[in-house]
Amino acid sequence: MQSILRGAAFAALMWSVGAAGAAGYPQPLPEEPVPTVTELPERYPASWVVVHDLHFNSLPDGRAALVDVGADNHHLRGQIPVAQFGNILPSTTRGEIYVGETFYSRLTRGERTDVITIWDTKTLAPKGEIVLPGGKRGLFVTLRNSLQLTNDEKWALVFNFTPGSSVTVVDLDGRKILSDIDLPGCSLVYPTGPRGFTSLCADGTMTSMTLDAAGKPGAAVTSEAFNDIDDDPLFMTPAMVGRTGWFVSFKGNLRAIDFSGAAAKDLGSFAIPAQAGGDPEWRPGGWQVISADRAGLLYVLMNPKGGEGSHKDGGTEAWVIDPKAKTVVRRIALKNHSISIEATQQETPLLVASRPDGSLDVYDAATGAFVRTVASVAHDPMTMTAAR
Amino acid sequence: MSGLDKFSEKVTRRVARATSRRSLLTLIGGALTGAAVIPVLPVSRAQAQGHGHGGGDPIAPQPTGNPQDPGDQTQCDYWRYCAIDGFLCSCCGGTASSCPPGTEMSPITWIGTCQNPADNRAYIISYNDCCGKSSCGRCLCNRNERDRPMVRPQANNDINWCLGTESAIYNCSTAVILGVALDQQ
Repeated sequence: MQSILRGAAFAALMWSVGAAGAAGYPQPLPEEPVPTVTELPERYPASWVVVHDLHFNSLPDGRAALVDVGADNHHLRGQIPVAQFGNILPSTTRGEIYVGETFYSRLTRGERTDVITIWDTKTLAPKGEIVLPGGKRGLFVTLRNSLQLTNDEKWALVFNFTPGSSVTVVDLDGRKILSDIDLPGCSLVYPTGPRGFTSLCADGTMTSMTLDAAGKPGAAVTSEAFNDIDDDPLFMTPAMVGRTGWFVSFKGNLRAIDFSGAAAKDLGSFAIPAQAGGDPEWRPGGWQVISADRAGLLYVLMNPKGGEGSHKDGGTEAWVIDPKAKTVVRRIALKNHSISIEATQQETPLLVASRPDGSLDVYDAATGAFVRTVASVAHDPMTMTAAR
Repeated sequence: MSGLDKFSEKVTRRVARATSRRSLLTLIGGALTGAAVIPVLPVSRAQAQGHGHGGGDPIAPQPTGNPQDPGDQTQCDYWRYCAIDGFLCSCCGGTASSCPPGTEMSPITWIGTCQNPADNRAYIISYNDCCGKSSCGRCLCNRNERDRPMVRPQANNDINWCLGTESAIYNCSTAVILGVALDQQ
């Protein structure tokens, strides 16, 4: 009560001070309606990036930030909860964002519920959810390819790990489960053809499956082995150029996989041309280490202190690679040690580098010039997905 | 459960391989592979902050008091942690070999082979996760030697190994001695 009186006295004092200057402002500021809640455009501009915050210090409270990296201010445009080793996947056509997540009825105990939560892009309100049966959604440090879309974005593919591997096919329109497909020895989902997916397998091969109209799998097609997991494994997250996935390996070899047909096709690999300055050598390093712009240029986050065990250490440069010419077009020296990179899909793309302190550094991808820092958008900005 | 069985079998076979004299000789003193949860960002933080402390003032050292088990159990360079990943349970109410009160120890684990600098023996260490309370947040320790991507889960330390427990919520990681792997001459 006393503090209210003090507050009122203070307000009166401020009013009298303000009255002295009112001559310069004949009209008061307009009244503002309450409540007011901001809305977003249904389709996000190409300068927006979804930044997934794993929040390792409180995993049940993971989240994602919508960040406009092209603006001068108002960078953080909204947030979406992504609970417990969750995944976030914006649709490109449906005005929705899908979150695969896991809850316990008493936060850390009680009944487990795995769901895909459907968020409205405009209101950022939850529109609905689809419960995933079996308590088997894979829980690991977030990888984009544990939740993907197929069949013209009408179906979601959820990767499960118990530690047995499987994929759940979900009808987003019907809000129902279509099928569960065992995937012994294979991991993650890479949408393939009009309706299907590919998984990378522990023996270095990949297996593709088409899905029928009911979501049931046809025969599996397994490739020759191409992933040298012992000596030079591929990072799991590719940069997509159309339906071609560009994967980079621990030692800096780039490999293209064509996901446009019924079965994924290995298009071969080449080594990133060696560059000076490594000690002992340059290697890709970080979490999401490769991205692509609309023109098909690749960006790879590089660590000069490359060696066994360095693959998650982050990097100090982003190398711009022309995969057609197989050349390093440019080396972008990053202002700060960075963990993940993502190129926006603008005509003039920006390159976003996430830092261990949760801030983003933004660069002009065409020149490498530093543009701005967007401070403190996440605790642990692991993966980033540019609007498209 | 069949998946679990398959996995146990795989782990068992891998341990059998690891305990063969020949393979152990190449592994002594080094990590066989990772265990538990390790996010990459905290890796960088841990590096920046000097081996596993959560920043700010250092955590008080916790020597075992046993000269045959030397080192500070709050530090990433404690000999048993040669393949550990995650928050150290010694900093979280447990010890290097026991989970904090009220958590549940995961029955599915990963295994490392670490050399004890005091008695010069190689020990098989089991990195059981402790589950059912949220992230401890102290003493993050993180090593990625021989870690492989999710395509080979049994060698991947990004996975939450709180599998087969009442709750899959990850709290911290232990480093339990399973036995002597190989006596040094």
